[in-house]
Amino acid sequence: MIDFRNLSRRRFLELSGATGVALGVSGAGLMRPALAATPLAPVAEEDAVIAFGYVGPTSDEGWTWQHDQGRLAVQEAFPKAKTIFVENIPYSADAGRTFRQFVSEGANMIITNSTYGDFIYDVAKNAPETAFLHCDDRTLMDNMGVFYPSHWYPSYVTGVAAGHMSESSKLGYVASFPVPSSFAGSNAFLLGARSVKPDATIQVIAINSWFDPQASTQAARALIDNGADVLFGIMDEPGYLQVAEQRGKKAVMLNTDSRKYGPNAYVSSIMFDFRKFYVDQVRARLEGKWVPGQFLLPFGDGTDRDAWGETVPAGAAKAADEVREKILGGWNPFQGEIKDNKGEVRVPAGQSMSDNDIYNWNWSVDGSSGLA
Amino acid sequence: MSIRIQRVPSENMAGGLAARLIAIVLALSIAAIVFAMSGADLGKLGAHVFKSTFGSRFGLMDLGLIVTPLILTGLAVTVAMKVGAWNIGAEGQFCAGAIAATAVALFVPGPTILVLPLMFVAGAIGGMLWILIPTLARAYADVSELITTLLLNFVGALFIYYLATGPWLDPSGLSFAATKRLPHDVPGFWGDVHWGLPIAVLLTVALAGVLNYTRWGYEVRIAGSNPAAARYAAIPFRRHLIVVMLMSGAIAGLAGMFEVIGTTHRLQGGISNNFGYIGIMVAVLARGSAIGVIAGAALMAVILKSGIALQTQGVNISTVLALTGLILFFTAIGDELSHYRIVRSKPA
Repeated sequence: MIDFRNLSRRRFLELSGATGVALGVSGAGLMRPALAATPLAPVAEEDAVIAFGYVGPTSDEGWTWQHDQGRLAVQEAFPKAKTIFVENIPYSADAGRTFRQFVSEGANMIITNSTYGDFIYDVAKNAPETAFLHCDDRTLMDNMGVFYPSHWYPSYVTGVAAGHMSESSKLGYVASFPVPSSFAGSNAFLLGARSVKPDATIQVIAINSWFDPQASTQAARALIDNGADVLFGIMDEPGYLQVAEQRGKKAVMLNTDSRKYGPNAYVSSIMFDFRKFYVDQVRARLEGKWVPGQFLLPFGDGTDRDAWGETVPAGAAKAADEVREKILGGWNPFQGEIKDNKGEVRVPAGQSMSDNDIYNWNWSVDGSSGLA
Repeated sequence: MSIRIQRVPSENMAGGLAARLIAIVLALSIAAIVFAMSGADLGKLGAHVFKSTFGSRFGLMDLGLIVTPLILTGLAVTVAMKVGAWNIGAEGQFCAGAIAATAVALFVPGPTILVLPLMFVAGAIGGMLWILIPTLARAYADVSELITTLLLNFVGALFIYYLATGPWLDPSGLSFAATKRLPHDVPGFWGDVHWGLPIAVLLTVALAGVLNYTRWGYEVRIAGSNPAAARYAAIPFRRHLIVVMLMSGAIAGLAGMFEVIGTTHRLQGGISNNFGYIGIMVAVLARGSAIGVIAGAALMAVILKSGIALQTQGVNISTVLALTGLILFFTAIGDELSHYRIVRSKPA
């Protein structure tokens, strides 16, 4: 079998900053220089097949819909190329089968929007001529790059607004799985709220899915029953916004402007835009210049907050936007002292968390319960 | 001469087979009509599906990997049917078998040649434990195993999520809600297809032999088809029920063991891929025959693999699920119809 463990451990050390390389977000969003791999051979536009593998349905009006906008932008930029996509790819051996199907259909580049782990590594290893772009992953291969939006900045910004708006000082978070993106989202949101209300807390419920409207709705009801009055989450659909609307509470969303599902409850949304990134990556692949790297879509360029909802008080919006401007100006809101929810100091005073620390966040900050 | 339609208690073999073939052809025809109506080029789609299944080495390997757990879950449901029990819980037993085998792989050190047989045994015991409570509840309190086995499926799936995102989460932090890669592998049989496939086939044939040609198998079949008659004939119904249901759970557990050790190499949520539920369809298609289990599993594997291939052509996965539902639906109708025969009689 593949000796993947050694490969990944070495790369993980590189990634986690143990090698002492400072990792910052550059304008282009390249977190880490590309591997010293030779670029794959160029492909003529009319021969190109670009395949997209999605974790949810393209109609989710959320994460997958947003990625599919990226696919449509690629199709528009390269009209002679062929784009194909498969939705609802499960986290099972079927994922590997789907990616292998892409390869057998001649895909020159495969872009996926969720973490498929071995199911994609095993295929990529046997398809050296195909470029892979794997979202929310940390493993680079000679033919695989990784990317993710830096959603924690707008999460912090909307957390500031939530801090102003919450009356109970209790926030709620509908998580998918206890993975770094859930930790980063809920932690950043709470830290933003605590910058306004130091006694704010957040309760997290993980529903083991990115797309399960029934489960997310149930989780939202439970969070509100426990006193939460501003909800946030990492769902690919607007279920918890509808619950907040019914119950007269507020909600911050992810992926798209979904205010039509709850105009009174809608605070804002963490917005993603993959179009430019995808078109750039595909262009590099076609021109024979593509090498894998680790990319983070920067705050303000591919990741941002949506326009504020109509019921957001002007004062809350203004305070949050001031923080947004500060972050865009280079200020890092993730500064020590930050304790975890067991009381241990994880980030000492005077230190701050790098993007890479946040990208790999696997503990809950003080005041957060339910995730770990 | 008048024509009467008469119901007969036992369906005939040819009728059952014909019902299945007609059901499959009907379901495929309906799918073809739907595709054609949505503007698809049927010839192109057909060629694409063929190339992605039988027409390429990768396609055949995938078929081998999909058919392995389906044979086992189909066999598990079939075996339980022999004693008159509906094991709807192959999905949960699959999960339990996967969990038990993973536990051995993670925590028992040693060379693969020693650990692998242990995993095999653990997988079977895991599945058996998962069906133990429904079995005892059915045997001693007459609680419907249909409900109890079904509900334990959800417990099994959630238990995997708990382990894979909690205590057994890959410590490297690189995996997505999964255990670390298991340090053992089932040896390859043909390419990516592991030895689980021939073992599943052998197990099916062996169990068919035992059920059809031994005194024990005869008693089980009598007990299954008529418990009252079995009791009258001094056949220990309860004992047979317990033994066969536990066997059924063990077989489904083996499916989970092979999937996690041979195919996915990590325990993570979602690995069951609905193989336990599709096993019920396999069993219904198989009508209790061992060859039928293998054929039914092969058919479902082709449909599932075709579904993956069709999706890149813009066909929605729901269409494929609907297709499997249609086959089951038509088969159920056909099964009932094959209980009837047309009798021509001359007027007296």
